[in-house]
Amino acid sequence: MRRKAYGRDFGLSSRMFLTIFLLGALYVGFFALLLQSGASYGVMIVLLGAFAFLQYFTSDKIALASSGAKVVTPEQAPDLHAMVDRLCAMSDLPKPRVAVIPTDVPNAFATGRSPKRSVVAVTEGLWKRLDPPEIEGVIAHELAHIANRDVAVMTFASFFSNVASLLIWFGGGLGRNREGPPIWLIALVVYFVSYFLILALSRYREFAADRGAALVTGAPENLMSALQKIASDMTRIPQRDLRQMESLNAFYIIPTNVKRSAATLFMTHPPLEKRLARLAAIAQEMGRPVTA
Amino acid sequence: MGLGSVLFGGRKRLKGAKLDKLFALSTAQVTLETELGLKPAGVAAVVSKPLSAGEFARAEQEIDDLLGVVAQTSGSEVRRRDDTYGYQWLVVRDRDFEDLVTGVHLVASELSSRGFGEQLLAALFAFEGRDHPTYLIYGFKRGAFWPFVPTGEGQERDNPAELRLKSELEKELPIEPDLTRWLGLFDAPLD
Repeated sequence: MRRKAYGRDFGLSSRMFLTIFLLGALYVGFFALLLQSGASYGVMIVLLGAFAFLQYFTSDKIALASSGAKVVTPEQAPDLHAMVDRLCAMSDLPKPRVAVIPTDVPNAFATGRSPKRSVVAVTEGLWKRLDPPEIEGVIAHELAHIANRDVAVMTFASFFSNVASLLIWFGGGLGRNREGPPIWLIALVVYFVSYFLILALSRYREFAADRGAALVTGAPENLMSALQKIASDMTRIPQRDLRQMESLNAFYIIPTNVKRSAATLFMTHPPLEKRLARLAAIAQEMGRPVTA
Repeated sequence: MGLGSVLFGGRKRLKGAKLDKLFALSTAQVTLETELGLKPAGVAAVVSKPLSAGEFARAEQEIDDLLGVVAQTSGSEVRRRDDTYGYQWLVVRDRDFEDLVTGVHLVASELSSRGFGEQLLAALFAFEGRDHPTYLIYGFKRGAFWPFVPTGEGQERDNPAELRLKSELEKELPIEPDLTRWLGLFDAPLD
């Protein structure tokens, strides 16, 4: 699973919401069909496990491919590699692969099932628009995701939610003559509830990664100013030329206003104010008070 | 472009050029000049995409034709320019701002009616009276304006100034709400 840690890309968030939701619905629908066609309960669980397993073991490749990130060598990006080296040494992590995403919007993500097989990716926009201490805060946040094993946590969380909705299906199938609401309705409700629980879990993991970054760098204020910069309108204004980008415009599928309203409802990340407030509290604990 | 047109229509169903919102700029002129200190530089341009080789010969003829029509029906001076991207610029000059906007509209609608509507990219209006030359870009596909203030250093822009202009002009002009679409037009061949 891809861990998108920063930024306010409404389009991406709503697309990710849709994708994850549909993916889950597909899982459940597929297994429900198999169940109805007579496959046994045990076979289902094994298949479901296999799906989760596959997702878990290909997470890094999927994330890299879908974001267009290119893995870079220390020769290609010496400063970025030096920064990752430094932070890994401070947080006692094996060095992940380093990748660059060729877009203007400042953002970053980390993925990979174990610290050894992780990738940390930053966009060109992040590198260009933020100051080095701020970039350091962002990378430390991503490394904290790796250290916290968030890909594994989220994969398992979705696995259990899929099992939960399957059980409702299966249990409902056993008692299909009983009075009560239709089975598909129960399945849907369970699926929705577990989906929002996973989102809540994801937001909690973000706070944890913020905290980790603050402790490792010893400077919560850098991550705070990075978050503010990333969230500001200014970083949304592209630096490219209209004539350069013209060929890409045809690929926008969801209109802007739809993207915006959907994203506020389904957030994988906590609101900026809350993250800043918590970082300020951490700064207070560390004896370096800053104002949020 | 919706998913349906991606699947079933392709090029033919691309959104046509929206020209009508251009005139909002004429009415906003008072605000621009008296409240924001932006004086029209008397020059604007219509930028259109390059054509395929097959259409090129026809386009040459049509555009010569168009320039003739414009010269007859308006007092604005219109010239052709090319840029390093291979885009075509029809640069319109007029000291009177209202005539300038009308001139740009005329050029764009002539291009549209000659079958080049899909090629229309943007119109660019130049203003002076501030530290940096300031531009308003009109996207024909979106029917909205956005500010563009290049600082003159590479592809750097004065984003704070642009965002101020957005809030100052929002009531008067249709401003593109999606900031990620505020793409610049650097090194405009307006001279």
